[in-house]
Amino acid sequence: MVNALIGPSQARFAALKAAGQTPPQPIPVRALIDTGASGTCVDPMILQTLGLTATGVVAVNTPTTGVTPVKQDQYDIALIIPGPSQTHAPLFVGNLPVLAAELFQAQGFHALVGRAILSMCLMTYDGASGFFSIAY
Amino acid sequence: MALEKELETYEAKLPELKEHEGKFALIKGDKIVDVYGTYEDALKQGYAMFKLEPFMVKQIHSIQQVQFISRFVDPNVART
Repeated sequence: MVNALIGPSQARFAALKAAGQTPPQPIPVRALIDTGASGTCVDPMILQTLGLTATGVVAVNTPTTGVTPVKQDQYDIALIIPGPSQTHAPLFVGNLPVLAAELFQAQGFHALVGRAILSMCLMTYDGASGFFSIAY
Repeated sequence: MALEKELETYEAKLPELKEHEGKFALIKGDKIVDVYGTYEDALKQGYAMFKLEPFMVKQIHSIQQVQFISRFVDPNVART
């Protein structure tokens, strides 16, 4: 689990400014690093709070959809995962397509960070010590 | 679904788009606006041209690609 910030994508941010609107501030969330997810998912409550509208549609399979993929809205966001300290540059993806999925707040997070992001990084999991690291 | 028209356009035009496999189509209504090499380029152009109006960026695949999530989540399906 990591802390992250989710905001409008850089492209949308520019469009909002050009329209004379004030872009929303990024929202801090808890995000679960999930190698079992091919993409990144965000709780729709977060997307709604940011005032985002869908800019894509993709087919998705989850344990709740059964064997037939379902078409799902896709949104564009900016994702920031802060470094371990202020002297470390964050992991920043300015224009990231994400899926909306109810992540059941009882699980304690609002975003799944999947392999689309992890493909940009080197992730190491030391199970014996209970630590993981992500190098980017 | 918000982008129903754009999705219909993509599916109808897919035979013509297949030569651009893997690239990203920018779609507005019943028009394929253009094809771009990256998601970012298509998205930026979409916002530049259409501002905050609806548009769709779709990666072109002759065979539908499916995203998989192994965790128990509930995707938002066909919201109106």
